[in-house]
Amino acid sequence: MDVILAAAGDAFTWQALLAIVIGTWAGIVIGGLPGLGSVVGLTIFLPFTFGLDVITSMALLIGVYCGSVYGGSITAILINTPGTPQSAATTFDGYPMTQQGRVDEALGWATFASFFGGVLSCVLLIFCAPQLAKFAVNFGSIEVFALVCLAMLCIVGISRGSLLKGLLCGMMGFFFSMVGSDPITGADRFTFGTQALSSGLDLIPVVVGAFALSEIFVRFSARDEEATVIPEARLRFPPLGEIGRRLIELMRGSFIGSFVGALPGTGAAAAAFISYATAQKLSPRRAQLGKGEPDGIIASESSNNAVTGSAFIPTLALGIPGDVVTAMMMGAMVIHGITPGVRLMADQAQTVYALFVVLIIVNVVMLILSKPSIGLFRYLFKLPLGFVMAGIVMFSFIGAASVRGNPLDLVVAALTGILAYALRRGGYPLAPLVIGMVLGPALESSLRRGLLISRGDFLSFFTHSGIATTLFVLIGLFLVWTLWSSFMQWRAKLARRRQTSTRVIE
Amino acid sequence: MLASLTHPRLWLALALLAAGIGLSVVAWNGPDGAMLVPRVVLAIWCAMALSLVIVEALRRAPPLKPSLSPLPLLMGAVLVAAVTVDTLGFLLPALVLVALTLWLFRVRRPLPLLVGTVLIGGGLWFLFHHVLLIRLPAMMNSGVI
Repeated sequence: MDVILAAAGDAFTWQALLAIVIGTWAGIVIGGLPGLGSVVGLTIFLPFTFGLDVITSMALLIGVYCGSVYGGSITAILINTPGTPQSAATTFDGYPMTQQGRVDEALGWATFASFFGGVLSCVLLIFCAPQLAKFAVNFGSIEVFALVCLAMLCIVGISRGSLLKGLLCGMMGFFFSMVGSDPITGADRFTFGTQALSSGLDLIPVVVGAFALSEIFVRFSARDEEATVIPEARLRFPPLGEIGRRLIELMRGSFIGSFVGALPGTGAAAAAFISYATAQKLSPRRAQLGKGEPDGIIASESSNNAVTGSAFIPTLALGIPGDVVTAMMMGAMVIHGITPGVRLMADQAQTVYALFVVLIIVNVVMLILSKPSIGLFRYLFKLPLGFVMAGIVMFSFIGAASVRGNPLDLVVAALTGILAYALRRGGYPLAPLVIGMVLGPALESSLRRGLLISRGDFLSFFTHSGIATTLFVLIGLFLVWTLWSSFMQWRAKLARRRQTSTRVIE
Repeated sequence: MLASLTHPRLWLALALLAAGIGLSVVAWNGPDGAMLVPRVVLAIWCAMALSLVIVEALRRAPPLKPSLSPLPLLMGAVLVAAVTVDTLGFLLPALVLVALTLWLFRVRRPLPLLVGTVLIGGGLWFLFHHVLLIRLPAMMNSGVI
């Protein structure tokens, strides 16, 4: 209890509260601008945190993260263009409500459902993370190796694009993490005689290149598209009686989001679609879904915001990020001296609880700031794209240059940006690349330590302990499931092609 | 088939395969202990890239229209600016890059271009380097710019 009170004291400083307000507001705006998601938002704000203390820095970044997930829903409702992929499912009912002249009601439901999902997942995080951390103490090198393999496989299997492309990107991420000095023998690897490469590649410049710079290149290719006109809108919160009638939908969406968010590799977009699909089966008003029914907005928004809290469960307790955003948050935590993983809850309990308190405050602030932010979008969309893009270029450069002060980091960011643009054009998912880079060191050290423990016998990994065996069985099952579903998709595609060619012949 | 062979997706897969093979050669020539995991990772990389080359070559890809986009100019500018920061400091390459980005994104009237460059390029540099004291690379050690 003393720890929680001390943590609350850390979170309620004026610096942290100011950081939350600025971060959340900026997150709402960035999330609402199509194409600029949570990662670009974090890229912009990361350099600001270098001079701040741990809690204030994390408060700023958590504010940007949660705000951007909510912000994506505003443009999804107003102009049928989700600001972030997480809000894609919100368009199904949000935009029809706008067309019916119920835009104020739609925005109200989106805001309240986001708040509800966010707070519920924070509560779950407070209860689950310490339990998971206690259990994670049983994890040795071999168990960690199996867990990292399982997490990577989940991320690859669930990412958009083909399994081959996902795996290739995952291997690229692993490779990036292996550049520099070998952590065990100290030998240089892939440095090509360059002193600057001995310290390895840092995560932040790679993320800056892969997401922020490549986004500029993508937007440049589409710069001829016409500007969008935003309709006049105000936010109207739903009445209490209406909230009571839809409480089950709110709870269901929030629990689905919390559960899905805690699984590695799934993320908020998957949670929103799963929740929407569930609502289509279970909602008492399911016949109206897709035609402007608030239950659709509730399903999408409560679940995608619930992910923001629960995604921290594996990140903080196991050191395994759930998606790119939490991978980047993990990188930021490391910069500020917090090392997520098994020992974190024991060694830095006060800091972790302070982060939990910050998450709850962010959701409350998001609710308060939603009203003034919505009016702003009419003016934001009149801003020439060039100024926004030039600003992102500058923030990307500042972020990459100031992480370690290594001039090579800027070159790495630029090269990664060009590579990521090509990969995006080729339909390769970028999430496995970034998460591979985060998990690479854990994979390598756990494998090599495991081999030392088992005296070079890799087969004994499978029977090392109950946890290891369970994890390897799960890996096997997941592999079979992924290959089976790929095979079924291929068969269905082939059947469709045959059907089309038969029709053409007829 | 010919369209598939000239499709950029195939060239991308080939480039990734070539990179994987090149890095594998480096890994196999390195020390055994340190290169154990990179060899495994690069072997999987090469296997995946080879599979993708085959898949992309066999795929019926729609032909792409050739276009003369100035995107390579923007990419080149970003890369050149990143390389020159080490010698010229942060401010000068950043100002040029911001001006070029604005111009390429069709901000071409002199006043908005100038104001945008000074405010976004110079203003953010000043904010971080001199106000927040987050030191960015300078042209000379401890130099003003």
